Amino acid sequence: MISLLGVILVRILEGMFVVGLAGSTVVLLVTFVEDAELLLGREESHHSQAS
Amino acid sequence: MSTPLQPVNNSSNRVRIVVATSVMLTFISYWRAAAIVLNDLASSAFYACGIAEQAIGKSAPWFIVGVMLFSFTVRAVYVESCSMFVRGGVYKVVKEALGGTLAKLSVSALMFDYILTGPISGVSAGQYIAGLLNEVMVTADAHGWIPRAVHNLFNGTPQFSVNGTSVAFALAVTVYYWWENIKGIHESSEKALRVMQITTVMVVVLLAWSAITIVKTGYQSVPLPTPQNLHFSKESLGFLGHTFPEQSLARMFGLLGILIAFGHSVLAMSGEESLAQVNRELAHPKLKNLKRAAIVIAIYSFVFTGLSALLAVMLIPDGVRVPVYKDNLIAGLAMHMYGPELLRLIFRGFVVVVGFLILSGAVNTAIIGSNGVLNRVSEDGVLADWFRLPHRRYGTSHRIINMVVGLQILTILASRGDVYLLGEAYAFGVIWSFTFNSLAMLVLRFRYKGERGWKVPPNITIAGTEIPIGLASVFLVLLSTALVNLATKSVATVAGVSFSVVFFLIFTVSERVNRKKYALAKQQMKDHFQLLQSDTVERETLRIRPGNVLVPVRDYNTLSHLRWALEKFDIQDQDVVVMSARISRFGSAAYDLSPDQIFSDYEQTLFTRAVSVAESFGKKVSLLVVPAGDVWSAIVQTAKNLESSAVVIGESSKMIPEEQAFALGQAWEALPEPKRQFVLQVVHPNAHAETFRIGPHTPTMKDEDILLLHRLWLSITREPGLENVHHHEILTEALTRFAREYGARERDDILKELKRAGTSSRLPGVAPGTSPPPLVRKEGGGSFPEHES
Repeated sequence: MISLLGVILVRILEGMFVVGLAGSTVVLLVTFVEDAELLLGREESHHSQAS
Repeated sequence: MSTPLQPVNNSSNRVRIVVATSVMLTFISYWRAAAIVLNDLASSAFYACGIAEQAIGKSAPWFIVGVMLFSFTVRAVYVESCSMFVRGGVYKVVKEALGGTLAKLSVSALMFDYILTGPISGVSAGQYIAGLLNEVMVTADAHGWIPRAVHNLFNGTPQFSVNGTSVAFALAVTVYYWWENIKGIHESSEKALRVMQITTVMVVVLLAWSAITIVKTGYQSVPLPTPQNLHFSKESLGFLGHTFPEQSLARMFGLLGILIAFGHSVLAMSGEESLAQVNRELAHPKLKNLKRAAIVIAIYSFVFTGLSALLAVMLIPDGVRVPVYKDNLIAGLAMHMYGPELLRLIFRGFVVVVGFLILSGAVNTAIIGSNGVLNRVSEDGVLADWFRLPHRRYGTSHRIINMVVGLQILTILASRGDVYLLGEAYAFGVIWSFTFNSLAMLVLRFRYKGERGWKVPPNITIAGTEIPIGLASVFLVLLSTALVNLATKSVATVAGVSFSVVFFLIFTVSERVNRKKYALAKQQMKDHFQLLQSDTVERETLRIRPGNVLVPVRDYNTLSHLRWALEKFDIQDQDVVVMSARISRFGSAAYDLSPDQIFSDYEQTLFTRAVSVAESFGKKVSLLVVPAGDVWSAIVQTAKNLESSAVVIGESSKMIPEEQAFALGQAWEALPEPKRQFVLQVVHPNAHAETFRIGPHTPTMKDEDILLLHRLWLSITREPGLENVHHHEILTEALTRFAREYGARERDDILKELKRAGTSSRLPGVAPGTSPPPLVRKEGGGSFPEHES
C-alpha cells in the first residue's frame, strides 16, 4: 500500500516535471525571440505581454 | 513629477514630516548591474559541477547545461517580479500573495540561501588555494627545490590539509567581511565590474585553450543524460537510499532519475535571485535595462558554468577528475590543457586569483544580503527591534550582522571544509527560495491588479481569465525539483528544515511581541507626527526658502552638529531642514519601501530627539525622510532639490572630514546639470567645524603665485597697446594655453611635472591614478560659512 502510494506520488512528480519542462521550453523560446528583438532594437512594437 | 501631498491627518499641532517615497539612487548601467549579479551567479561555476558529478556521475555536465538553460526562465520570473510596482520587502510582498505563514517560511528559506552562500563560497575558494599550494609543492619537490630535510620531515612532499586550509581561509574571509560590514563599508559596482572583466579574460583563455587542447589531444565524450548513464552515490539518494537498493531507483523510475539528477544540479543557478536586488538601481529605461542585464547574465553564466562543466569532463581524465579535482574543477581543467607545465601552472594560479576574487566577493554579498533581508523583516515587525538597533559608533545593524556571521562561522566549522556537504545544504535554500518566489508571482497574477511592466510568456485568456501558462510551468519544474530534493538531499532537508523552523519560530514570536508594541508606537506617532507623503523632494513641499541649511542626521545619540547648526544659523534668514536618509542598499532593494518602512520607529525616535534639540533652542526645523541607496547621493540630490546653500554634517567615525567632503564631492560630480554649489560644514563633537566648498570655486592661490601673476601683469602692461590688460585676462590666457597643451602631446610631460613638483597632493585614501578628485575646497577651519546667494 505504501509502495503504491509512493509510486503514485512519484508519477505525480514526474508529471509535474514533464509538463513544467514542456511549458518552460516555450518560455525559453519566446523569451529568446524577445531578447533577440531587444538586442536588435525592435522591441518597441512588441509589447503584447505587458498589461 | 511630484504627486500631490497625502496627509495622514490634518491635525495642526503635530510635527509635520515630509516622507519622500521616490528613492534617491545613483543609477547604474545594465553592464554594472549584470556584473553585480554575475559576481554571485558565476561563482557557482567554481563548485557546482564537481558537486553534481559526485552525486550523479559523469553525465552531470549535461544537467548543469540543462539547469543553465532553465535559469533563463527563472530569470524571466524575476524580471516579472521586478516589473511590478509594489512597495515593501520580500516578506510583505510574499505575505500579500501567500499569507503570513508561507511568507515567514519563504524568508526563512531565503535566509538559509544567503547564509549558506558565504560558507560554500569561502570554503570553495580555500579549496582552490590549497589545491594550488599543494600542486606548487609537488612541482617544486619534483625539481628538487624543497630542501631534503623538509622533505624528510614531512615524509615526502609537504602538503597542506586541503579541508583544514579551506576552513581557515573561509573563516578569515568571513571575519574580514564581518568587520567591513560592521563598519558599514560597502563594495562598489565598479569593483564588481572589474572582477567580471578579469573573470571574462579567464573565461576567454579557458575556452580558447580548451579548443586548442581538444584539437591537439582529443577529448573524452560526456555520457548523455539518460537514466542508464546516471550513477547515484549512496548520499545522493538521501532518504530514498534507505528505502530502495542503490541503483535500482533510477531504473525503476527512469524519469525520476532525471528529476533527481536535475535536483542535484540546481546549485548551478544559485545567485539568480540577486537580479531582483539590483533592479531599483538600474538607469532609465529601467525595464529595458533590466532585460538587457538579464540577457547578459543568462548568456554569460550559460557559457561559463555550462561550458566549463562540459570541458572539465571532456579534458580531465576520470582517474583524477573526482578524486583530485572534485572541489576545484576549473583548476583541474587548467592543469590538463595542452602546453608546457609551467604555463599550465601559471594559468591555474590565474584561475585561483579569479576564484578568490569572485568567491570572496560572494561571501560579502551573502552578509549584505542577509543583513538587508533581516532589516526589512525587522521593519515589518516580524523580527524584534532589538536586532536592528544601530552600532554606537558605526550606526550599522551590528546585531543582525553578528548573528548572520555567527551562523556562517558555525556552518563553516560544522562542514569541516566539505564542499559537497555545503553544496547539498545550499541547494535547499536555493530551490525553495526560487519556488516560493515563483509561487508568489503566480498567485499575484490573480490577486495583484496594479502596474506590471512585463509578464512571463505565454499567457492565454479563456473566458476573460488570463492563464499564466509560462509562469505556472516554471513553478511546476521548481516545485517538483524542490519536493524531490526533500527526499534525496537528507542533509539539506534536515539542516534546511531545522533552520527554517527555528527562524519561523523566531519570526512568529517576534511578531506577537511586536504587535502590541507597534500598536502603541503607531498611536504615539499619530499623536506627535503628521506624515506627508510626497513622491519627490521639493522646496515647496517643505514650505522653505532657497538658501536653506540642510542637516542630515542618522544616529539619535550624535546630534551635536544639529545643535551647532541651530546655534550658528538664524532661522529668520535661513530655514533649517533636518533630513534622514533611509538607506536601502543592495541586498534589500528588491522592492521599493512603503511609507511605513521609510518612516519606521527608528526614524520616529530620531526625529523626536531632533525636535527636542530644536525646541531647546526655541527654533523651528523642517523634517524630511528620503529613501536612498547611498547617503552621499541622497544629501547632494536633496541639497540640489531644496536649493540649499549649506549642508551641516557630523564627523564620521569611519572617515576624516576631508574624506567626507571628498565623498560628497564625488556624489556632487555625478549629479546631472543644472546643479549649484554649496558649503559643507563638518562639525566635530567638540563643536569645532571644518568648512569645504562643494562644486567649482575659486582656488586657493599661494602668495608666490599671486606675486608671479602680478609680475607678469607688470611686464605685459608695459607693452604698447596692452596697458589696460587685467590680471584675470592673463590668467585666462595662461589657462587656455595650459588646456591646449594638456589636451595635446604634452599631457604626459605636464603630469610628470606636476607629480615631480609634488602638486599632486591627494586626499587621504585616494590612490594615485584614480579618477580626479571632485571639486572640493577646504576653507579655514572653524570659520563661519561664506554663503553664496
